[in-house]
Amino acid sequence: MNKKLSKISLFILVGVLLLAIFILPLLAATIFSFKGMGGKGYSFINYQWLIEQDGFWPAISTTLRLAILAAILNLSLMVPTMVFLHLKGQKWKPLVDAICILPLIIPVVSLAIGAQVAMPGILQNTEYELVFFYVVIGLPFTYRALDTSLSSVPLKTLVEASRSLGSNWLNTIIRVITPSIRSGITAALFLSFALSLGEYTITSLLHWETFPTWTVVAAQQNILGAIAISVFTFAAAIILMTLIGLSTHKGSGREIVEEEHNYGMAE
Amino acid sequence: MTNSSVIGSLEGESRRTRISFSGSALLPFFAFTGFFLIWPVIAVTLRSLKGNDGQWTISNYQTITHGSYLHAFITSIKLALTTAAIGSLLGALFAYVAFRYAGPRLTAILDSVSAVFANSGGVPLAFMFIASFGVEGIVTKVLKNIGIDIYAGHFTIFSFTGVVMVYSFFQAPLMFLVFKPAVAGLRKEWLEASASLGASSFTYLRRVAVPILTPPFVGAFFLLFSGGFSAYATARALTVGTVPLVPIIIGTLVDGNVISDQANLGDALAVGMIIVAAVGMVGYIWAKRKAAKWQI
Repeated sequence: MNKKLSKISLFILVGVLLLAIFILPLLAATIFSFKGMGGKGYSFINYQWLIEQDGFWPAISTTLRLAILAAILNLSLMVPTMVFLHLKGQKWKPLVDAICILPLIIPVVSLAIGAQVAMPGILQNTEYELVFFYVVIGLPFTYRALDTSLSSVPLKTLVEASRSLGSNWLNTIIRVITPSIRSGITAALFLSFALSLGEYTITSLLHWETFPTWTVVAAQQNILGAIAISVFTFAAAIILMTLIGLSTHKGSGREIVEEEHNYGMAE
Repeated sequence: MTNSSVIGSLEGESRRTRISFSGSALLPFFAFTGFFLIWPVIAVTLRSLKGNDGQWTISNYQTITHGSYLHAFITSIKLALTTAAIGSLLGALFAYVAFRYAGPRLTAILDSVSAVFANSGGVPLAFMFIASFGVEGIVTKVLKNIGIDIYAGHFTIFSFTGVVMVYSFFQAPLMFLVFKPAVAGLRKEWLEASASLGASSFTYLRRVAVPILTPPFVGAFFLLFSGGFSAYATARALTVGTVPLVPIIIGTLVDGNVISDQANLGDALAVGMIIVAAVGMVGYIWAKRKAAKWQI
């Protein structure tokens, strides 16, 4: 009985906090974004204004393209690196750990200035230079997500089992390790992709136009339009990420995710 | 071909792959981070040590440790500490509740929503909070109608408190994402063991879960500290310079909106920020070592 009561009060506490911090601002901005001309009545006029602006669709397509590339590059760099570190690269781990935490120590602003000084011209002339820096900015989060996930599976046993059954390394990574750290990979993928979608600082300081930097320019003309942009950005990002999240949770990793989830559930 | 010779040839093949794998596995990582992370930082640091005439000097650093620049550093550190504290407590609570009570499908949705929120530290976020808690904001008006005037005191959304509120919006979900894998690493056996020794779930929480989760919590706190310390876009859109923060000053200097008699002052401020964050990272490394004890 006491247990049930504390569970209910825990849920109420979480609910109130979620409401105050997340739901209220989202709701208020949504209502605001549907205000009509001069703040009277409600209409879609702000959204119409948004879509009719020059550069709306090109900015969205650029952002998606860069974010997809960054997520792919990030995972193909970090999954093999992290698996190696956990299996036999223990002596390298402190160094990789230190490097992966650097993007948090180094302000994005100064990384951008450094990029302007240090990058060769051929890279500075293409928007794809941003992909590399989106990956750099994502490193601390992918590192931690993969590291924690790899730490909570019996990696050595899995690999020994797979290898003793005659599988090679590539197969072991793809068919044994990847499914068992699926929650970590999913988290890494989310973080990298979402980070790239919303990245503003380095993009604007390197003078490229993606959706976030485009919105700032467009917002200067119309505050209601700016709020409509904010709501649109959030809704689009949440829908997109939820679809990705649900689709990556289907398939072979499902059982392991559920099993992980069950830890601590028994009462 | 007999069974043993099949196994033998497979072993021979795998040994070769193993050697090449361990030899080259870390090369791409070091090459990538060396060029896109380390080299730009070295470039900024070198330039921060040069004066207008291109000669080596520390005059940039003498300037940033006095007056308004020093004040900006103090304000930035205060902001980062406050929002990291609020964000990590909220995020850890959400992570624990989600881990205990949410199913896989809801967990997937929570992950995606958190990922969006955690990375929403941009201009859109500032506009959303203006729509809610600004003078004309909807929440402000609703509260006023029921007799609570949040603008009666010194509060504005453009003040330090306002920035703290907005930052919590991305700090707590970031904590949720970073901390949840640590919570998920709690072994079922530990709960069973403590239950069979007669512990209530509160005792389990206090004597087992909290001690084990403290190091990852502290580590995550420092991640949030750094994020709050160097966040740029939200504060810039929200405060328009009303709250002096180091990243905003750097951005203004770099954009060329302010004419400074010292050309490389922004570089020195950036290196100054790196130093502040590095001090915090000592705590992170300590926490990391502690956490490793319980990893299997």
